[in-house]
Amino acid sequence: MEALNNAMNFPILSLSIFLPLLGAVFIWLFVKNDQAIRWTALVISMATFLVTISLVCMFDTTTAHMQFEEVNHWIPAFNIYYRLGIDGISMPFVVLTSLLTVICVVSAWQCIQTRVKEYMIAFLVLETTLIGVFSAMDAVLFYFFWEAMLIPMYLIIGIWGGKNRVYATLKFFLYTLAGSLLMLIALIAMYFKSGGDSFSLLHFMDYAFDFEWQFWIWIAFFAAFAVKVPMWPVHTWLPDAHTEAPTAGSVILAGILLKMGAYGFLRFSLPMLPDASQYFVPLMVGLSLIAIIYISLVALMQTDMKRLIAYSSIAHMGFVTLGTFMFTQQAVEGAVINMISHGFVAAALFLCVGVLYDRMHTREIAAYGGVANVMPVFAGVMMLFAMANVALPGTSSFIGEIMVLIGTFGATPSPYLTVSTQWIAVAAATSVVLSACYTLWMYKRVMMGNIVHDEVKTMPDLNRREFMFFLPLIGLVLWLGFYPAPVLDVLHVSVTHLIEQATSSKLDAAAILAAEHVMPHAATH
Amino acid sequence: MANITFPYPYPEHLGIMMPEIILAVLAMALLLGDLCVPKEKKQWVAWAAVATCIVTLIALLQIPTAPAYTTFYGYFVLDDFAAYGKVLLLAATILGIFLSMDYMKDEVNIGEYYVLMLFALLGMMFMVSANNFVLLYLGLELMALSLYVLVAYQRDVLRSSEAALKYFILGSLSSGMLLYGLSFIYGVTGSFMFDGIAEGLAQAGSSSNIAVLLGMMFIIAGLSFKVSIAPFHMWTPDTYEGAPTPVTAFMSVAPKVAGFIIFIRVLADAFPSLQQEYTSVLIVLAILTIGVGNVAAIAQRNIKRMLAYSTVGHVGFVLLGLIAATQEGYSAALVYLTIYLFMNIGVFAIVILMRRDGIQGELLDDFAGLAKVRPGYALAMGLLLFSLAGIPFLAGFWAKFAVLTAVIDAGHIWLAVYAIVFSVVGCFYYLRLIKYMYFDDERVVFAFHESPVMQATIISTTLAVVVFGLYPAPVLAVCASVVTMF
Repeated sequence: MEALNNAMNFPILSLSIFLPLLGAVFIWLFVKNDQAIRWTALVISMATFLVTISLVCMFDTTTAHMQFEEVNHWIPAFNIYYRLGIDGISMPFVVLTSLLTVICVVSAWQCIQTRVKEYMIAFLVLETTLIGVFSAMDAVLFYFFWEAMLIPMYLIIGIWGGKNRVYATLKFFLYTLAGSLLMLIALIAMYFKSGGDSFSLLHFMDYAFDFEWQFWIWIAFFAAFAVKVPMWPVHTWLPDAHTEAPTAGSVILAGILLKMGAYGFLRFSLPMLPDASQYFVPLMVGLSLIAIIYISLVALMQTDMKRLIAYSSIAHMGFVTLGTFMFTQQAVEGAVINMISHGFVAAALFLCVGVLYDRMHTREIAAYGGVANVMPVFAGVMMLFAMANVALPGTSSFIGEIMVLIGTFGATPSPYLTVSTQWIAVAAATSVVLSACYTLWMYKRVMMGNIVHDEVKTMPDLNRREFMFFLPLIGLVLWLGFYPAPVLDVLHVSVTHLIEQATSSKLDAAAILAAEHVMPHAATH
Repeated sequence: MANITFPYPYPEHLGIMMPEIILAVLAMALLLGDLCVPKEKKQWVAWAAVATCIVTLIALLQIPTAPAYTTFYGYFVLDDFAAYGKVLLLAATILGIFLSMDYMKDEVNIGEYYVLMLFALLGMMFMVSANNFVLLYLGLELMALSLYVLVAYQRDVLRSSEAALKYFILGSLSSGMLLYGLSFIYGVTGSFMFDGIAEGLAQAGSSSNIAVLLGMMFIIAGLSFKVSIAPFHMWTPDTYEGAPTPVTAFMSVAPKVAGFIIFIRVLADAFPSLQQEYTSVLIVLAILTIGVGNVAAIAQRNIKRMLAYSTVGHVGFVLLGLIAATQEGYSAALVYLTIYLFMNIGVFAIVILMRRDGIQGELLDDFAGLAKVRPGYALAMGLLLFSLAGIPFLAGFWAKFAVLTAVIDAGHIWLAVYAIVFSVVGCFYYLRLIKYMYFDDERVVFAFHESPVMQATIISTTLAVVVFGLYPAPVLAVCASVVTMF
């Protein structure tokens, strides 16, 4: 028991945040040779992964309180603390981040031959900022990591990206920055409104903001999170960024970065601004359905594989935002499962495209055809992930989507929503058909049929290293598809607590606060 | 203010001016000493100038400043606020001299250059200690005259002479405006002292008096010229482009620090009763400055012009702290100036390194591929530019955070929103320069004029930006503690 207590006091979260950063500094200063840099990066990212696994092992699934908390002074002038903690909602993303970073490092082994050092440093720094985002419990610390992430991502797309990389990376940077800065202003305004003594997220969750404040702050948060998710109509940076990014960049973008937006809704908008969140349910439902239906149709028409998967990501994120704003246990849990699952599936599909790209140096669907004849193992792997993208039962996406649909069907999320949730569920369910259309059609054109291009004949099948980075993803997709209970256990208590926060209005408390505020004020006049 | 007996070894009255006296004496001695230094050893003068700054700094730190000391019938004041400003100015001057050493050796090898920098410093130190408009004007002119000469230093280069002429004419105009406004204020209140003016205005109860408002507007306009607030910024790009690059670097930080410190003092001490009026003027100026600076910078192909407009944009942000007109606001403005000083000196140090024979290495294109040729310099430049853009984990983020916090606390949320919209616009041109360095291939042959001093300057400024970025608490605490008297 004492050993366990000691373990709990050890700053594991800080370790998992700063281990990659220290590793990056170490590589920068001491490692010269390219191969040594690769190995060092692999060792560091594996070590970080093991540290986050220890979080899983010690995680207490019976409480919605923040765990592994750390509080230290940082900037006393503004009451900003270095405050960390994770609950059931953020813990899976910390692990997902460290897992995908390992895969990114491995996937870059051969295809990145220029400026290997900068590449590995960029990914390790990125990992630091991403884990930081998911474990920060102080609003400024959260923002600090949230925006610092732009620096490595800007360089990753800009240096190792495709032809149109400069345009894509600038667009990505400026879109995200514009949204985030509005969030910064909202956070500062909340700080003063709530008494000017703490930036703690828990403090913001407890403080009763009146409706007008909730309304404007919600819009500012929406600007930041909707760009990141991304939701229609601010999604246009994503296809460009995905298409131009190097494979591993797309993996991190699809696997983690998009989740930051949805995580923001769960961590900020819902518990801090419950009344405004209810008010905006119709907007969120509308935008989510547009993402699911319209963006799926757009995906159907793509000729570039990466672009197609990028649009499919937006459509899947539509499911996530829909589930989030239904305020039912199944829908929210389904949304989180969907995020995790999409982290595996989209990452794997981008890796599949990367495998093809390494051999043919093109992402055009039309340049392939009949690949299954020469790459049977790869065809099998890609088939599995294509099916997972379609949400076939037995894969992780199925669990997520069915939970969102069930949760939506019976939900009464908001008095402002005039459309029956049954119809919303029906509309959302069209995604199952549409995703099957674009995914399988792409699979057919790339993998099936006869070989029409001579270059395809010489394509070698997966090598051992490539198979190795698919293996954990295959395992996870199937495990989550057949037996999601462990993950649901982790989520359950935290999601229950979240829904309780999101469905209890703050307005009465705000009115009392306002009355208290007016009384002494009036007395002084 | 109360007459305070002065505690420290220096004689009474003169005591608190000792740093300025030491600086003036040493600078004049250096002017004579320079005649004995042979042409090829002019570096000695530079090092002597650095030593002078350090001696002045030590003399300054000897004086306990906790209460405000005044001397010469209250004309000259030394409080924490002024002392902090002087420390910043000394740091800027020392870094400015470091940047000049090599450049001057290659271009015009004249020792008086450093002496002029010291005189400019002297003028600025008087400015920040001014408690009276006459002393303010004298300090301002000493600074300005020295800078006119410094800008014109490469007198054979047409660009340099043109820049100096523009700066001189517009600078004289702005001094004229300042004096004109002052005459109105003197006419109404009968005083040149800041507190005397405040008293006079309070007694007259004449905040609506047109003469007072006019006078205040002219004073604001005159000071705005010196710190490049739009629409009085027109001289900035031309002068920055034409001046020798180290002079540009020096000019882009030191006069801004001095100008803003005295700006704060004038507004808070002399015109407290007109706060509502000057706040609305400043809001208009800030909106213009932030807009013009960030938008115009996008169109520039010359990095010195780009940095000139970027300075204008940053000045707009500092102005937000003045608009808040609270302790938090003034402290935020100081934080901004402190951090800005290091960022800008660092960026200019790298620009100076890039010069080649005949070509100044000033076009954005000249930076193409720097990351491949010199990853170290590219990394430093990249960090400094991200910091200027205000991205965390770098110090520039906290500078923006501090002023935004102050301005939101003062109730101007829409101004904060406006400012951040343009800071996104501003991000674009910093990112574009990073794009040249990191994403493009090298187009021209790089020839660096490296020296240990330059490298030390670059490393120390970059390190400062990173360390402040990760742990800004000390800077914020110091700045908050020195503005307590307002």
